[in-house]
Amino acid sequence: MGGACVITFNNVSLIYPHSLHTVFEDLSFTIEEGEMVLVIGATGSGKSSLLRLINGLVPHHTGGILAGDISVDGISTSLTKPGGLAHLIGIVGQNPAHGFVTDTVEDELVFGMEALNFAPEIMRKRVEEILDLLSLAHLRSRSISTLSGGEQQRVAIGSALVMHPKVLVLDEPTSALDPIAAEEVLSILHRLVHDLGLTVVVSEHKLERVIGFTDRIIAISPDGKADIDIPEEILKKSLIAPPIVHLARALNLDSVGTSVREVRRMTTHLRDYTPLLSQPRQVTGETVVAIEKLNHLYGEKMALREISLDFKAGEITAVMGRNGAGKSTLFKSIVGFHKASGGQVKVLGNDPTELSGRQRLSTIGYIPQEPSDLLIHSSVAKECAASDRDNGLEDGSTFAFLQRVTPKINPDAHPRDLSEGQRLSLVLALILCGAPDVLIMDEPTRGLDYQAKSLLVDTLVSYARNLGKCVLIATHDVELVAEVADRVVFLADGDVVADGTTLDVLLSSPAFAPQVAKVMSPAPWLTVKDALRGIAQISGKDSQE
Amino acid sequence: MNTTNDIYRLSHQSKIVLAFTSAIALAGFIWPFFYIGNLHWIFVVAIAASAFLLVSEVGIGSIDAKSIALLGVMSAFITLLRPLGAGAAGLEPIWFALIIAARVFGPSWGFLLGITSMTTSALLTGGVGPWLAYQVFAAGWIGLLAGAFPQKIAGRLIRGLPEKVLLVCVGVLASFAFGLLMDLQFWPWVLGSNTQLSYIPGGAISENFSRFIAFHFASSMAWDIPRAILTSVLIVLTATPFLSALRRTYFKAAFLTPIEFKSAIQRRN
Repeated sequence: MGGACVITFNNVSLIYPHSLHTVFEDLSFTIEEGEMVLVIGATGSGKSSLLRLINGLVPHHTGGILAGDISVDGISTSLTKPGGLAHLIGIVGQNPAHGFVTDTVEDELVFGMEALNFAPEIMRKRVEEILDLLSLAHLRSRSISTLSGGEQQRVAIGSALVMHPKVLVLDEPTSALDPIAAEEVLSILHRLVHDLGLTVVVSEHKLERVIGFTDRIIAISPDGKADIDIPEEILKKSLIAPPIVHLARALNLDSVGTSVREVRRMTTHLRDYTPLLSQPRQVTGETVVAIEKLNHLYGEKMALREISLDFKAGEITAVMGRNGAGKSTLFKSIVGFHKASGGQVKVLGNDPTELSGRQRLSTIGYIPQEPSDLLIHSSVAKECAASDRDNGLEDGSTFAFLQRVTPKINPDAHPRDLSEGQRLSLVLALILCGAPDVLIMDEPTRGLDYQAKSLLVDTLVSYARNLGKCVLIATHDVELVAEVADRVVFLADGDVVADGTTLDVLLSSPAFAPQVAKVMSPAPWLTVKDALRGIAQISGKDSQE
Repeated sequence: MNTTNDIYRLSHQSKIVLAFTSAIALAGFIWPFFYIGNLHWIFVVAIAASAFLLVSEVGIGSIDAKSIALLGVMSAFITLLRPLGAGAAGLEPIWFALIIAARVFGPSWGFLLGITSMTTSALLTGGVGPWLAYQVFAAGWIGLLAGAFPQKIAGRLIRGLPEKVLLVCVGVLASFAFGLLMDLQFWPWVLGSNTQLSYIPGGAISENFSRFIAFHFASSMAWDIPRAILTSVLIVLTATPFLSALRRTYFKAAFLTPIEFKSAIQRRN
């Protein structure tokens, strides 16, 4: 590209204290001005460490041995403390709410400049600038806590940008956001890179969201090596890849595409046939959850309106809809957190608000959006022992269950030190070993990488199909829905607007179709597996004729 | 070797300022016994001035971002606890938190926490007045005391039951000490001039002292005993999870962790 180098890593290796592993080994790359670089790698591979090396937080705040040299705009991070790089590098974390220090949007934007003693006229000017740049002007005097996730993340980016940094570093900026909010944030980043020539380094699990925006990818492998290259090259061999890339590989296409359009063009020959309709699985279990004319009011606001639904044993149902559509309220009513304002909910004939003790544990398993809310002990082993006691199981059975799911988990680790994926496995083990008749999960894939997600899919599918239990998940993740769900219920503004098989509901809406379905449309295939099976059937029929 | 910053510790200069301002504050507490004319208002002013001097002195010293962050979070926590007790009958659910936090993070930081949490919680409870500077010093001293006990004796870490016993003792001691200091502070003003227990301006030390002891005994029954009981109960109930959460934070904050910059390193795994 030939631009000026903003970030240079020269033979960088890193070891943390109290650790026996090198995080990186001999990492060398340069990032040029105006580039958008994506960092990918499995959980725990060192994505966050890499991002924090750029502004010197590693090792100046964490300790550790750093070999080689890192420089940003010509300043070496080994000689300068993070404070000395603050004007060059803006950093934005995963959960913007954790970083806010003030109450309103304008105050938050000004805060950093106040701390560095900028002149009032400059502050005034820059705040206006940023409000326009990030389309925040209409929110300027709003209280931050009333903003949506996407708006909050935009404010966080704005408060980093007011300092006019050369580099913006974002650690999983969209993993806590729903797809629409994520889109909002990413298109802003795209604009910053293209219009202002800002250098952006970003890490993200959900590749399908970001891949179209990135110039190059740094892929960190578990052994501490890293590759940097253009997306097409990295994705040819990377284990971490979005569904369309897996599709392209499975179909043995010559190259992988990064957008639906590209892959669709490469696969026109596959769509010449009239595909067979795949038969959805018939679920014939007994009704576990029966909801009749359920209403729920929060003060004046109607959160749920006359909802009537039945959920059967052996069925996995995905509940979808915008934030605030009533998904969580519906789940809380089923779990029995609150009494319904009208209508009734029965779980196996019982009112869920009246269940208690062991009967509750064996009837309803609920995993909230933040699974660690359920973790109260100081080690994995203690959590498992407590669960054995609570569920009246033999000693060690919860831990045995956990080890079947994640064999490598360390029983002495503190639950909060686990990776997102391991933590979810732990919580699943705690809940599932009690074998509840209904398993309810709110947004289970937030912050999970592909590996952890496929583990989750396997666990849920076997729980529903083999044990014949009822599973309900609320999620924005269409790819997950395509993989696991038999049925989709779509909520909007407290009403059920769609209820049907996954195939019917997902295919009928272009916004909610998974990537594979978009590529293969009009063929009714949602996942790579569906597509391969479908194509095999067609070609089998061809050869018979 | 190079390391990350340590948790906040008082520098030598800060220690001198602390000793000096504490001496003024102490004089402000015990002046009624050494009456030297109508000068007692000076102490109200002097103590407030000392508190400012102290805060600005420790503020100028290099206090690291991590210590500040910890201080902010714990002060906010204690500030939220304070209104829960309504301040009546000595039921102040703040001391256990101050004592346990100071035990983990050390005397210097504990002293700062006492000062900041007392100041910020006063803003919330409307308890701002001439007495505030006295309370601030008393809370700071309690933080200093709670953090000053050793972590190990003869090479063995004090953890578990012995540590709980130690904390309860500190809690009881602090509850009574705070009561004594507050009594000293308001006894001259509170009773009017003509009761059996009232302060006699310019009276003999022995006479005033015995009157104070009687006054303190009466108020102690009503305030210090409930305070000591509540603090001890809260320490017994919360010490184990609270200590382990704070120690984990201490570990995670990576104070005094070695930093090394090299040109190349050997692979370790």
